[in-house]
Amino acid sequence: MSVDERTTPGTAAASKAERRIELDRYSSDLRLSFVDWAQKLHAGPRIAWNDTHGGYWFVNGNQEVFDVARRADVLSNDAVRYGGIGIPAMDPAARGGVIGGFLEMDPPRQRYHRNALNAYLSPAAVARWQPVMDEITRAAIDDHIESGSIDFVEDLANVVPAVLTMGLLGLPLEDWVIYNEPSHAGVYTPIDSPDWPRVQQLGIEMGMRTLEHIQRARTHPRPGLLQAVVDADLGDGDRADDLEVIGVVGLLIGGGFDTTTALTAHALEWLGEHPDQRERLVREWETLRDSATEEFLRFYTPAQGDGRTVTQDVEIDGAHLSAGDRLWISWAMANRDETVFEDANEIRLDRTGNRHSSFGLGIHRCIGSNVARATFKTMLKAVLDRMPDFVCDPTGTVHYETTQVINGMRFLPATFTPGQRQGPGVEETIAGLQRVIDSQGLAEPVTVRTGRGTPG
Amino acid sequence: MIGESRMRIRVDGEICQGHTLCAMSAPDLFVLSDEDGHAQAIHEEVPAGQEDRAREAVRSCPEQAILVLSDEPAVGAVR
Repeated sequence: MSVDERTTPGTAAASKAERRIELDRYSSDLRLSFVDWAQKLHAGPRIAWNDTHGGYWFVNGNQEVFDVARRADVLSNDAVRYGGIGIPAMDPAARGGVIGGFLEMDPPRQRYHRNALNAYLSPAAVARWQPVMDEITRAAIDDHIESGSIDFVEDLANVVPAVLTMGLLGLPLEDWVIYNEPSHAGVYTPIDSPDWPRVQQLGIEMGMRTLEHIQRARTHPRPGLLQAVVDADLGDGDRADDLEVIGVVGLLIGGGFDTTTALTAHALEWLGEHPDQRERLVREWETLRDSATEEFLRFYTPAQGDGRTVTQDVEIDGAHLSAGDRLWISWAMANRDETVFEDANEIRLDRTGNRHSSFGLGIHRCIGSNVARATFKTMLKAVLDRMPDFVCDPTGTVHYETTQVINGMRFLPATFTPGQRQGPGVEETIAGLQRVIDSQGLAEPVTVRTGRGTPG
Repeated sequence: MIGESRMRIRVDGEICQGHTLCAMSAPDLFVLSDEDGHAQAIHEEVPAGQEDRAREAVRSCPEQAILVLSDEPAVGAVR
């Protein structure tokens, strides 16, 4: 860095003043007027200063998000030192000492955690779970196929990711019901809601359940992600304590549940509104499956953004960032940037060059991205196969009020021509799947072959 | 089209984060690590006829981790 590029207090303050916007990301307005906001912000400033919620940079342009997100050398996710990835920052003490797992850590500890989990979540590892995904999906649909009506959120998109995540963690599949409600309600319930104390209580029960599983794992090892977190060597033989494990497991559950639910629900809602595109997707499934999935990911961006803290003065794309400044990287805004995506506000199932950032960019790339894609495709295909004429009911459809964390949905009721059941429902199926997972050791890490072509 | 492709590509292992989009666009050109899904070009030289897929992989990489070492038109190529 040259002297000229160094940020001085004067230029830093001027930079904020020049780039000031007024936007409340906790307001419904951002969700409802998202396209207007994107167009306004992309006209500039693309790294904007926002005085709300303690003051933070709102990084919104595609190039700017790309340039900022990959600068882990000058940005921190650390919850203990800087308050983590929330805007406003959240003191870990205010959340019972539990932080958001390795997403609220910096390297090297963050890397140690991820290295311990990769072999459970890689494409090769996830492929082993395909029969389980298929079977849970079949069962969830079978519970409703004869009736001709379903709520795509409650009856399908909540169920499949939750049961699968339990399996990956190595927890009893039937526990999905304990984790399901708080994982979703904890995201969409505003903290000033009268329902918040109940949601908080459910969250505590979920944490207690996790603690029981952790303590059991310390004496009775059981294959899966949870065991891998407990056993992870975090450098020089260091191990995570209970609170740290709870945080990581919470991250895996939070990442595994509500995000894929949100993507699936939005895609189904859109396909219901565009029957011609739905027919095309059915007809050309083999060629459109991947591009359509990436396009839904881009367009709906389930996890809308992540916070960071600037650790040293730096200039990025003309913005003078100062050490200690907070910053919000808006994956959602970057995904609608016309300079990279032609007709960015339209869904094109065959879009090419779709380098969206819905799984984040840089060292914190969503570790569950392969699970998310596979689960989404499985649910979508099953709906298209078995309920191809579904019609969603807009009067019963409920979106999350704000996109404060997840661009999600609570309800998406639909009707369709009833079909034939193919097997038992969710409850019975789960019991059978549990035996399969246990006997086949599915929750073990993938057996590592020399996938890179060179040994070691 | 006849003649050999002159397109050569490489995945920068320091930049790749395992998004896997390259292998989705061009499954014959990239291999993903079983362990972490990070990509490698199977061969630096792109086989003739696969150049468009290679370019799509380059374009769709979220980290822009695929380096195009050369992309000269194939000698004697007939389009």
